[in-house]
Amino acid sequence: MNTVLMDNRPAQAQMAPAIAIRNLDFWYGENHALRGISLDFPTRQVTGMIGPSGCGKSTLLRILNRMYDLYPGQRAMGEVLFDGRNILSPGIDVNVLRSRIGMVFQKPTPFPMSIYDNIAFGMRLHERLSRAEMDQRVENVLRRVALWGEVKDRLNASAAALSGGQQQRLCIARTIATRPEIILLDEPTSALDPISTARIEELLDELKQEFSIAIVTHNLQQAARCADRVAFFYMGELVEVDTADKMFTAPHEKRTQDYITGRFG
Amino acid sequence: MSAQKVQAGATDGWQRGGAQAVRRRIVERLVNVACSIATVVVLFLLFSILWTLVTRGAAGLSLSTFLHSTAAPGSGGGLANAIVGSCEQTLLAALLGTPVGMLTGIYLSEFSHDGKIVSFVRFVSDMMLSVPSILVGLFVYLVVVEPAGHFSGMAGTLALAILFIPIVVRTTEDMLHLVPRAMREAAYALGAPGWRVIVSICLRAARGGIMTGILLALARISGETAPLLFTSLGNLNWSTNLNAPMASLPVTIYQYAGSAYDDWVQMAWTGALLITVAVLATNIFARWWLSRNGTASS
Repeated sequence: MNTVLMDNRPAQAQMAPAIAIRNLDFWYGENHALRGISLDFPTRQVTGMIGPSGCGKSTLLRILNRMYDLYPGQRAMGEVLFDGRNILSPGIDVNVLRSRIGMVFQKPTPFPMSIYDNIAFGMRLHERLSRAEMDQRVENVLRRVALWGEVKDRLNASAAALSGGQQQRLCIARTIATRPEIILLDEPTSALDPISTARIEELLDELKQEFSIAIVTHNLQQAARCADRVAFFYMGELVEVDTADKMFTAPHEKRTQDYITGRFG
Repeated sequence: MSAQKVQAGATDGWQRGGAQAVRRRIVERLVNVACSIATVVVLFLLFSILWTLVTRGAAGLSLSTFLHSTAAPGSGGGLANAIVGSCEQTLLAALLGTPVGMLTGIYLSEFSHDGKIVSFVRFVSDMMLSVPSILVGLFVYLVVVEPAGHFSGMAGTLALAILFIPIVVRTTEDMLHLVPRAMREAAYALGAPGWRVIVSICLRAARGGIMTGILLALARISGETAPLLFTSLGNLNWSTNLNAPMASLPVTIYQYAGSAYDDWVQMAWTGALLITVAVLATNIFARWWLSRNGTASS
C-alpha cells in the first residue's frame, strides 16, 4: 500500500513544499486574525505550529482545507499554493480539496455509525470500491493506526463505544482512508490521557513516511518530540519558523524565547 | 476565622456560620417539603384521572366495542368506526406532516445563514404551536369544507396535520442543534457535500430525538377534538372514505358524554379510556425509544 501511494507522486514533490503560503491575511468579520503569513510545509515532514491561545495557529490550519468556508463572514486573502493551484481561488472544488487534505480534530468525533462505516464513509464519497477492496482498505488503515487488533471482532459495533484514545485513532484511520496527501491535526491529543497521547505521537512518526503533516499543539514537548520544523505564532503573526532543535534551543526572537520558557501564554 | 479563633479549639470550625447556617438548613428543609407536596398534588391529579377513567370506562369495554359501529341509544353498538376513523386521520396527518415538518426543521437548523427568512419561518412556526386548535378547525372549514360543500375525513386530516407540523419542526430543529459542530466539521473535512453531511451524519445523530418528537406529536393530535368538529364532523356509521364525514374518538366522546342516554355516556367513558391508554402507550414508547437510541450527542 505504501509503495502504491508513493508511486502516484511526481518525483520533484520530494523537494517542493507540499503547501506554500504567501502573504496570507484572514478576517473573522472585522477581526484581522492573521497578518501577512508566509510559510512552507515541507513534503513528508511534520510541521508543528505553536503559540498562545488566540494567536491564529488553528485559524491557519482551518484555512488549509477551506473549513472557514462553512462560516459566513470569514474570509482569507493571499495565496495558499497546493499542487500548482491557489486553494483560496473560487474555482477550487472544496470537496476534492478536503479529500486531498485531511483533518483530525481536537476532540474525537466518531460518527453515529459502526466502526466499519466510520471509515467507509469518506471512501464512499470519492471512490467506487468493491466490497472486497473496501474491506481490504478498512483493515489496512485500522492496522496502520494499531487499532485492528482491538476492533477486528466488532467492526459492526457502534464507534461511540470505543475509548477516547481509540476514537481518536479511528478518526485518523478515517482520514487516511481517503488517501490524502496532507494531514492537518488540530491539537489531536489535548483530550487524551498520556498513554493514548504517546501512541498517537508514535503514529505520527510512522505516518510522515507517507503524508505531509501539519500539527497545532499547545504542548511544547509534543512539538519538540514530533515536529521536524516548528512555527511560532503570536497575535496573528508568524514570529519565526525553524527546525525543532533550533526553535527550542536557540530561537532568534525574544518573543519565541519568552514563550518557550513559559514567561507568557 | 482569625488566628485566635482557630487556636480556640478544633470544634470551633464546625460552628462556622452560626445562626446563618441554621437558617440555611431550615430554608433547605422548607423548600424540600414544598417540592414534595407539589409533586404529590400532580401525581394525585394524574392518578385520580386514570382511576376514574379505568373504573368508569372498563365497565363498557368488551369485544363489541371494537367490532361494532356506533348505534342508536339502547341498541348496543361499539366504537369501531370512531377507532378506525381516529387512526386513519391521525396516521394520515402524521404521514403528511412528518416530511413537511422535518424538511422545515432541517431548513431552520442547517440553512441559518439566510438570517431574516429563517427567523421569520421560526416565528411563524412557533406561533402555530400556540394557535388554539379550534382556530385551525375553523380555518380548514373555511378553506376546504365550505368550498367543497361537505365535511370530510380529508379536511379533518388536514386540520390535524396543521397542528402536527409545528411540533415536528421544533423538535427537528432542536435535535439538529444538539449535533456537535465538531461532528459536522469532521464530515465536511472528509470532503462530504452539505446534503450528505445533513442526511448521513446530522439526521442520523438526531434520529432518536426526532422520532420521539414525531411520536409525541402523534399522541398530541390523537386527542384533539376541536379541529375535527368543523372538518370531519363525525359519522354514526362505518366509513373509511376520506371524502365523506368521518367518525373519531374525541368527537364521539364529545357528542356522547353530553347526551341523555346512559349507554351513550358509558360509551363516552370507554372511548376516553381507549384514547388515554393509546396516548400513554405512545408517550411511554417514545421515551423508551429516546433512552434506547440516545440523544444527538450519543
